[in-house]
Amino acid sequence: MPSRIPRVTKTAAIVLKHRRLGDADRIVTLLTPHRGKIDVVAKGLLRSRSKMAGHLEPLTLTEVVLAHGRSMDIVTQAQTVEPFAGLQRELELLSTAMYLLELTDRFTVEHADSLDVYELLEASLRRLSRGDGVTLVTRLFELGLLASTGFRPELEHCLETGEPVAAERAFWTHRGGGVVSEAGRASHPEAFALDARVLRVLRAFQALPYEEAGRIRIDPELAGRLERVMHEFVRAQAERELKSAEFVSESRRVSLGSTDAVAGGTEPV
Amino acid sequence: MNDPRGQHPDSTTSPINRLIEAFHRLPGIGPKSAQRLAYHVLRAPEEEASDLADALIEVKRSVVLCERCQNLTDTNPCRICLDTGRDRTIVCVVEEPLDVQAIERTGGFRGLYHVLHGVISPSDGIGPEELKIAELLTRIRDVDTDVAEVIVATNPNLEGEATSMYLARLLQPLGLSVTRLARGLPAGADLEYADDVTLGRALEFRQQV
Repeated sequence: MPSRIPRVTKTAAIVLKHRRLGDADRIVTLLTPHRGKIDVVAKGLLRSRSKMAGHLEPLTLTEVVLAHGRSMDIVTQAQTVEPFAGLQRELELLSTAMYLLELTDRFTVEHADSLDVYELLEASLRRLSRGDGVTLVTRLFELGLLASTGFRPELEHCLETGEPVAAERAFWTHRGGGVVSEAGRASHPEAFALDARVLRVLRAFQALPYEEAGRIRIDPELAGRLERVMHEFVRAQAERELKSAEFVSESRRVSLGSTDAVAGGTEPV
Repeated sequence: MNDPRGQHPDSTTSPINRLIEAFHRLPGIGPKSAQRLAYHVLRAPEEEASDLADALIEVKRSVVLCERCQNLTDTNPCRICLDTGRDRTIVCVVEEPLDVQAIERTGGFRGLYHVLHGVISPSDGIGPEELKIAELLTRIRDVDTDVAEVIVATNPNLEGEATSMYLARLLQPLGLSVTRLARGLPAGADLEYADDVTLGRALEFRQQV
């Protein structure tokens, strides 16, 4: 016998984004632990006396009560659980958090099981909010999200030959999805020599638990190289531009002043 | 049924269909509303219909962006920018032209404006370069400028905060005072339903009674 859909459900959710619906309503995109990514309708959210507006802002962990609707569920109650207030104090943190939200939205599909991604996003926002290193949190988030959604980069073995590749002799292909050896490069003419330090750090981030990965010392120049490699990689896998990635770089540029922009500047990786 | 011309298209003549379709293209106007508006125009005196048509044509022909503040205007520069009675040392930065009207209605601001025409929203594909930020910087860097303070009046949400912080980073090195509209409880609000961030800011920026 098919199970009946309950009329009202309660769930925790991280608000990913929202868009306007009519004069005062909004469609809010939520990431939930057990229902995956869902769009819900929040009525009257744009009215100044809305009791839910502040609880359904993007970048909020909230508990919502949803009434089952025909095409979309309707939010009947919302209560903030964690506002991640620490992220709204600094431009670099806020732009990074917006990047995590956009990546999550791009790499998840509606109603698919996304418990891993939900837990990863919640943990990453908490870590950023309490002041953990932006490079550590962001790169681990990217690698974790890619792994959970079927886009895990191959960092150890050649994509063509399957042989282990030494970091000093590795070539990198964004489109192919990881490293190739000298022998495998013939099939990937777009592959380029990757800084061995970048690959070693990515390998460690992919293999180590969070606390151990946090012990790796990363200077600003290396952080800039890691960021450029991973931004390009997720762009290639998402097959579209990620405006928030550009905003992360731009935020850092204006925060440091254009002459002190991210170490390495526009130097290719 | 999505055909805005209704269930009996044959019963209406072509000009009516054209008008219904034109109304249907407007944001927030569904097929039924489009029909109601079209039949209202049809029944109204010819003078009223002419006024509507003239207003539509005039707005498209005469309204441009003010070269200084980027607000919509039929004179360039706009009346606010030309008003010599206004305080030229303060510029209030808003998201949309309607925000200028909202602040003007308060009667409490006598400075100038700058309209961004949006807000930084990466999920909608809008970054700083899509907004009128370069025009603001050009205005501030003008050797003849008297601007000493920029009030960032973007909405108190994620995108508004990001835009405000970004503008502050750009403008502070130019020696300006960059301020943000206060954030707290709206009139008629209920503390029980206030979100943590709003209530926290209301407490942080409390005022002497």
